[in-house]
Amino acid sequence: MITALIVDDEIHARQALRRALEPAQDIHIVGECGNAIEALSRVYVDKPDVVFLDIQMPQITGLEMLSMLDPSTMPYIVFLTAYDEYAVQAFEKNAFDYLLKPVTADRLGMTLERLRHSLYRPDFSVLPEANRLRQIPCFSQQSVIFLKLDEVEFIESRASGVFVSDLQGNEHLTALRLNVLQQRTPLLRCHRQYLINVDQVQKLQYLESGLAEFVTRRGRVIPISRRLLPEIKELLGIM
Amino acid sequence: MALHSIVTLSVMLLQQMCVYLAVAYALSRTRLFIPLTRASIRWPHRLACYVIFSAFCIMGTLLGLPVVRGNAIANTPAIGAVLGGLLGGPLVGLAVGITGGVHRYFLGGSFGLAAALDIVMQGLAGGVTHRYLIKHGKTRLLFSPLLAGGLTGFTILIELGIDLALSRPFNEALYIVSLIALPELIANAAGAAVFVKILLDRRDSIEQHSSAFSAKALEIAAHVDGVLRDGFDQENSMRVARIIYDQTGVGAVAITDRDKILAFIGIGDDHHLPGTPITSPQTRHAIECNEVIFADGNEVPYQCSISAHCKLGSSLVIPLVGEDRQVIGTIKLYEPKTRIFSTINRTLGEGIAKLLSSQILDGRYERQKRLLLQSELKLLHAQVNPHFLFNALNTIIAVTHDDVAKARALLTDLSVFLRKNLKRPTEDVQLADEIEHIQAYLGIQLARFADRLSVEIDIPEGLLRVRLPAFTLQPLVENAIKHGTSQMIRPGHIHIRARMDEQGICLQVTDNAGLYDPAAPGGGLGMNIVDRRIKNRYGEAFGVTMACERNVSTQATVRIPMEATS
Repeated sequence: MITALIVDDEIHARQALRRALEPAQDIHIVGECGNAIEALSRVYVDKPDVVFLDIQMPQITGLEMLSMLDPSTMPYIVFLTAYDEYAVQAFEKNAFDYLLKPVTADRLGMTLERLRHSLYRPDFSVLPEANRLRQIPCFSQQSVIFLKLDEVEFIESRASGVFVSDLQGNEHLTALRLNVLQQRTPLLRCHRQYLINVDQVQKLQYLESGLAEFVTRRGRVIPISRRLLPEIKELLGIM
Repeated sequence: MALHSIVTLSVMLLQQMCVYLAVAYALSRTRLFIPLTRASIRWPHRLACYVIFSAFCIMGTLLGLPVVRGNAIANTPAIGAVLGGLLGGPLVGLAVGITGGVHRYFLGGSFGLAAALDIVMQGLAGGVTHRYLIKHGKTRLLFSPLLAGGLTGFTILIELGIDLALSRPFNEALYIVSLIALPELIANAAGAAVFVKILLDRRDSIEQHSSAFSAKALEIAAHVDGVLRDGFDQENSMRVARIIYDQTGVGAVAITDRDKILAFIGIGDDHHLPGTPITSPQTRHAIECNEVIFADGNEVPYQCSISAHCKLGSSLVIPLVGEDRQVIGTIKLYEPKTRIFSTINRTLGEGIAKLLSSQILDGRYERQKRLLLQSELKLLHAQVNPHFLFNALNTIIAVTHDDVAKARALLTDLSVFLRKNLKRPTEDVQLADEIEHIQAYLGIQLARFADRLSVEIDIPEGLLRVRLPAFTLQPLVENAIKHGTSQMIRPGHIHIRARMDEQGICLQVTDNAGLYDPAAPGGGLGMNIVDRRIKNRYGEAFGVTMACERNVSTQATVRIPMEATS
């Protein structure tokens, strides 16, 4: 059984796709989402095998949503678009699976066939939007909060999860892992457990042991690991 | 006794002088005198100068009063000689002097030789003064009555010295000189001054066709108005050149662009051919330096650069200036060698050039503005197409499955929308048409965003017949959806209203998204076009204004005047 999530902001489009998938006995639709924010939660909770993802959606487009998914648990993505010639060109060139709306049974059949037999995981990093995070989705009980990168002071990885600290000192739990955040944001990795927003650093102070640490504008002390210190100093232009 | 004689002689000589000046005045009313009103180095003018002043010189001698048995004549040839030199230059002065001198010599008397030499000397004195003033750039002083009078008086003093030196017996010479000195001094100085004044008046009367001048200028302005607005090309230039030629009466008129002659009318049109490249150095210089070039053929030599036999003798080249002070061409006025370039035509030429420049500029600006607006309107239409159309079709396909009647209604909406969209954007429509247009559009959008969009339309019945440019409301509604409600996670709402107040008609489209961003690329394009089109048509007081409360609401307000109501 293949589990699938349908993400599209238009109800008729979701219904049409659901109907088109009905004949396929081995596809189980676990849910429908009207926007990327709902979809992120569903992906984390339901861990579907495939996501049918519309590109043009409010607030966060389908492509941006890709950047918020953890590559190691990335579901198989099938893009949906009504008319987006540039996106279609990019998809064709990079052999991503995409469906043009309205979806025809034949074309959908090909996609499902590919899905049943392939373990192929395309590299979405060639899509600029899929590669760069503009904001970090943080999950609370009721909602998903999106923190803009310049609202982040630092990010800490603890045993209980990855926590984003904002400029007011509030902590937000995010499902994204530290190395995903490191790859997709300009935040600086200064420690095994920390990413820091360099714009928020007030000073770098040396310790007796030859170690050093950052102090943020709000006075938070963030450790710097011995291994990373030389390259951080070089990056910041400190000799 | 002697004093009595001097006074009598003075009065009599002044009477003679009156006859002399009367002749001068009468002649000044004829065309004969026109060459004398300017200091000219052209040979025909010099010749005229020589003939006329020689005649006056001889007349001055003939009108003289014989003194002491005809041995001497109290006379006034000095005026002709001095003025001939002053206005015609040293050569003319010398020639007049010799002519007058020879004439006087043959009248004989003990003073004969001295008097003849006197006249030659006076001609030369005039000529030398002419040369001096020209060289020092004081051409204007040539026509100063005071200078002419003074100079003549001064030469009379020298004359009397020569008379004393050359005439024998000395006692008789002294007696004669004492008798004629004062009368000659007064009569000659006053005569010369008045003569020059007569010339000056004549010149002013030539130039002061001033009422005719302004009438002419206005006439030209009215005739050429708008001709070059349609484009600065050969055909329009020819029309303008024809008007200027007819109105100014100059020898020839040419209009060029930066490289070639666009139009030429008048003397020399056999070899100044439209379409041929510019060869004249004056024109090239005018174009390169953005300067008015005046080659009067006197102080600045002029020779036609195409043909050596060209009859044109002077030219005025005025640059036509376009945007950024760039020279885009020239207008040229010519006079033939036989005529003098009048100051009126010079001033007129410069005025015409300014007028034409601003016309050409206006025309270009207007055309560009028109083109821009047209292309933007086309873009506005094109913008509607692909996304909306495909989304509409997809929605209809999906709806067909569950609700055939609804699908049929949507297809009707789509058809209405497309038909309205095909209308020419320049058309006027009633508000009712515009509402129908957006209702068709909204029918489809409401189906697409069925679960998260609602629309409210409040238009008073009385305003439905208001006329407005087509595509005024639709772009605003489209904007409210595209950049507003479709970007919302929570349900969107759009409110469309119309009302009338003192300032006119006010149409409002409000959404509850509050996402309007004037800096967003392409976001405001449709609205900008709607705005500019209304401002173009009704003035700056009308148009589109945007108000946005972040994440709460965006309000687009269109104002059009009351007069638009039909």
